[in-house]
Amino acid sequence: MESIAGNTVKTKAFKEKANKILGISPEDARLSKSYLTVAFIALLLGGFLGLLQGLNRAGMLELPTWLNYYQVLTAHGLLLVVVLSAFFTIGYFYAGLSHTLGGLLPKVRKMAWIGFWMKMFGFVLAVIPILMNEASVMYTFYPPMAASPIFYIGLVFIVLGIWMCSFGAFINVASWRKANPGQHIPILSFFATGVFVLLFFGSLPVAIEVFMIIPWAFGWVETINVMVARTLFWAFGHTLVNIWYMTAISAWYVIVPKIIDGHRWSDLLTRIVVIALVIMNITGGFHHQIVDPGISESVKYMHVFMSLAIGFPSLMTAYAMFAVFERTARKKGGKGLIGWFKKMPWGDVRFLAPFIAMAAFIPAGAGGIVQSTNQLNQVVHNTMWVVGHFHLTLGMTVVMTFFGISYWLVPYLSKRVLTPQINKLGIVQTIVWTLGMVMMSFAMHWAGLLGSPRRTSYTTYNDNATALGWDPYLFFLAIGGTLLMIGVLMQVYAVFNMMFFAPKGVTEFPIADEEEGAAPTPKWTERWGLWIVLMLALVAMAYVIPLVGFLVDAPPGSPPFKTW
Amino acid sequence: MRQAQYGLVLLVILILPPVANLLESIMITHMHMQMPLLVLAGFLIAKFFQIKYPQFFEKWNANGLPGLLLFIIITGYWTIPRTMDETLTMASVEAFKFFSLPFLAGVPLRDSWPKLSSFWKNGIIIFFAILYLGMGWLYIWSPEQLCNNYLLIEQITLGWGFLTTAVCMVIYLGYSYFIDFTQYETES
Repeated sequence: MESIAGNTVKTKAFKEKANKILGISPEDARLSKSYLTVAFIALLLGGFLGLLQGLNRAGMLELPTWLNYYQVLTAHGLLLVVVLSAFFTIGYFYAGLSHTLGGLLPKVRKMAWIGFWMKMFGFVLAVIPILMNEASVMYTFYPPMAASPIFYIGLVFIVLGIWMCSFGAFINVASWRKANPGQHIPILSFFATGVFVLLFFGSLPVAIEVFMIIPWAFGWVETINVMVARTLFWAFGHTLVNIWYMTAISAWYVIVPKIIDGHRWSDLLTRIVVIALVIMNITGGFHHQIVDPGISESVKYMHVFMSLAIGFPSLMTAYAMFAVFERTARKKGGKGLIGWFKKMPWGDVRFLAPFIAMAAFIPAGAGGIVQSTNQLNQVVHNTMWVVGHFHLTLGMTVVMTFFGISYWLVPYLSKRVLTPQINKLGIVQTIVWTLGMVMMSFAMHWAGLLGSPRRTSYTTYNDNATALGWDPYLFFLAIGGTLLMIGVLMQVYAVFNMMFFAPKGVTEFPIADEEEGAAPTPKWTERWGLWIVLMLALVAMAYVIPLVGFLVDAPPGSPPFKTW
Repeated sequence: MRQAQYGLVLLVILILPPVANLLESIMITHMHMQMPLLVLAGFLIAKFFQIKYPQFFEKWNANGLPGLLLFIIITGYWTIPRTMDETLTMASVEAFKFFSLPFLAGVPLRDSWPKLSSFWKNGIIIFFAILYLGMGWLYIWSPEQLCNNYLLIEQITLGWGFLTTAVCMVIYLGYSYFIDFTQYETES
């Protein structure tokens, strides 16, 4: 027993040394760098389009006739919700797989490259009709609004690219497990496995939806079942939200403790959080359909429980995070009920950005609970409130964590270092971004409560008094949006500086260890096949109720509409 | 012992009239949510009986097969459409449901499962997969309403619920047949 433990320690020490001296292989680094480059270019373009929208909504900018609000909105959504998040997630986790599993298999690397170019090709196909104003259908693209068929064909390639990367990750993890029997998948790769499982199974329903839409968009079939399409979309849409979220919390659980010089919280709890999120996630889509027709009140009521159940692992995460902070700070001599807070490394952007991201999830999560509650949803449904909510969750909780990650991941990949100047820039960027996002999302929430609709170009509704009452908040929104654009420019500058111009050097991939003497994690956590079957059973149970009704008692289908 | 308490709490919650009414108002949640949750409650409560009466289980369920048989009889009984109807119209049958599923299905399942060989474990999953395929076929393609209390569309929904659950069981069987766990889990 002792010799096994001794061997494990030795192997670990050897691996750590090898990683320290050699770092990531150039091939693996190139792959992740390419993904991150696309992600941050998407941030730049998407951020700029966001600014245009914010200024338009505040009535300060009239868009030219050749570029209307809905075109900008569709492109903004697609660039940030699909491209930025997916490319960052894949780039980050592939670097994590490479680091924790001892390099990517050549076959897997090839798959990730094929996936990369498939996504790029699909993305170009999708963007062309958007630029031609043939696909201003928003990133949710559900019928009866119909875009040019080319747009949907582009989406097919994006999904295929994502599947390539998912299967690549599965192959790498399976091969590592075969070579290391009896060992747990390293924790960051465990998160990666969960994320890729969700990416694959979550994009299945949207793939089915797109295959329903394509013949309809071409005009080969006359009508489409709108409710089925919406339901399939949200099975994917909500899962995507949680894919970003799981990517972000992987850094909170695994990376942040190392940065503050602490240890990871319970390994078992971490793995249970991942498993719970994987099993329960997809059915969360129903809370986006809480005012949709065709689903009975009692079914919606039960889905509120289902959605709140997804909130439970988040509460576990919140507890775990603050426990790690307090324990680490007290070890460093922090005293008092909250006085230990002063001992946290506030001047380190790699900590500050994810910390503010976590703090933002407190109001963001609370807003989410409001929206998934039946009666409250009816007040805020399709208003600016919802936009404020997902700018807090995605724009702050997730993206600020991504920014925090970039300050060590990019130099790690480019074999450079984070200089004090860039760290300072990062701190300022974090503050600018926080101010901008707090202002903008507060204004959005408030305007939403006052009834301002989302996804609507600027209008005063013939100078109606209620609509004019939104103006001060929308103005506030534009100021926030402008600050965010400054934040985007600083962030993109920092990323490309660290990628190409920072001084050469060694940057560590910070993965925290468990506490000494931590109880071993039980083996059952590794039964991925079982978790997937449980997930499928839950999805089947949840979706069979409305889908059978939508299909058997189907209303007349809808022809395609072009509303713009 | 704590899980026995959780099981009891779960059972009490499921018996509460508003909860029972909600779950019984939809056919598929009646059969595929309330009933399995009742079994789960019994599964958790079983720990109490196992500690309190070890000789009883030793004497009557030494190799796990009697418990398994009881579990199959009880759960099989509750897949019959008419039994669901009766729980909604007769209080005594409703009471029998709340007693039989936890104590005559959940408890024996907990006691039997670790005693069974993988032959029997897989056998029972295969049995239920076939049973569920059959029930799915019956509920979907039956030309008539099988329960007086539920509409035809609910019946068809339940049928698809049976079929999809059966498919999940088949996937699990395939997974455990094709994947050799010892390759991944035994330390070298």
